[in-house]
Amino acid sequence: MEQFVFFGGKGGVGKTTVSCAYALKCAEAGLDTLVVSTDPAHSTADVFDQTFDDDPRAVEGHERLWAMEIDPDEEVERHMGEIRRRMNEQVSAAIVNEIDRQIELAHRTPGAYEAALFDRFVQVMREADDYDRVVFDTSPTGGTLRLLALPEFLEGWIERLVAKRTKSVDLFEKAAVGDREARQKLDEDPLIAHLQGRKERFEFAGRTLREDAAFFLVVNPDELSIRETERAVAEMAEQDLGVEGFVVNRVTPAPDDDEQGRGATWLRERVATERERIDEIRRAFDEPVVAEIESRVREVRGDLLAAVADDLAIDADAAPAAH
Amino acid sequence: MMDDGRSLVDRIASFREWVAEWLHGFYHGMVEHPSFEKIEKEAEDVEDTFLFACFADAFGIPSPASYYTAELLPYLAEEFEAWERRMWDRGSWLERKGQQYHVH
Repeated sequence: MEQFVFFGGKGGVGKTTVSCAYALKCAEAGLDTLVVSTDPAHSTADVFDQTFDDDPRAVEGHERLWAMEIDPDEEVERHMGEIRRRMNEQVSAAIVNEIDRQIELAHRTPGAYEAALFDRFVQVMREADDYDRVVFDTSPTGGTLRLLALPEFLEGWIERLVAKRTKSVDLFEKAAVGDREARQKLDEDPLIAHLQGRKERFEFAGRTLREDAAFFLVVNPDELSIRETERAVAEMAEQDLGVEGFVVNRVTPAPDDDEQGRGATWLRERVATERERIDEIRRAFDEPVVAEIESRVREVRGDLLAAVADDLAIDADAAPAAH
Repeated sequence: MMDDGRSLVDRIASFREWVAEWLHGFYHGMVEHPSFEKIEKEAEDVEDTFLFACFADAFGIPSPASYYTAELLPYLAEEFEAWERRMWDRGSWLERKGQQYHVH
């Protein structure tokens, strides 16, 4: 299995449970494992009954298992603060106020949250050498997909910006007559250097996602969840990202054959309907169903998590050495 | 001819230097300067499009990359400020265009 494993899916399907269970399985198989929650409604804390923050922290009671919760809002503030600090170093006070409005604006757009989440994401992947496996519990489908499409989109954007900037600087060089110093020079242009640096980071992200990452979708055995999964698989294929398999979660347990009460009849019908849905999943997609996890009466934590981990037929072996 | 103690060769050399300098100035004034000014204005145009691509949200057009282009502002502060002023003030922008494309 690849070093980075992502679990995605619609809100409420049980991504956190599945992610934590898989992380536990990896840790118990002897791999140093980090589980990263990128869902704004962090629930890793509930699963392990312990609070986490932006830095990896050892999960109590488990060997080789760490967890962290990414906070994009905090990252947005940090990013804004960093730009302001550089601004104050390089620019006269009179101009700072004018520009400050633009900086504020750029960090209050809806895209800022996603960009910050993405940046933290990439940073975690870059600094993941200490871990054999990093499990990402992602935010609901839509957001994750947009996130995964970012590298390609931004690479193209930056390429066009660099081309424009190169052209204007080149013209400024041509306009410099004789001894006159060109207003701007190509080989020392800090903007082009900065944009190139950004582009390299996006390239790293794109490459890592395509080569060193595996994606699983968590799905519930209901119509809505299946439709959403179809969309997700199609969009990921567009990004050149393959889905390894599906985890069907919240499957209703069947009653024993000798039970004939009203509850048992209801359950039996329900189980039959879900069976049809699961068959539909197996028919509709090429990728395998790697687990069917039954609904638990109580929230999955503690020993229940280990039981769910046993249900997961996903490899917990180490990533291939060359990556 | 005044004899300032220099040899004829020296005096001819300094005269030639003076002519060359004057000619260069003449050429620069008549030909070079206007065309270089044009190139510079074209460069400014390209720079304007670059700034617009980076900071379209300053004019209410949401840009998905503005979070990242904000990182360029410390390098671009003065250009950004002048650009924003130019773009809002259409009068001066038109005047500048007239200058740029007026036939000399």
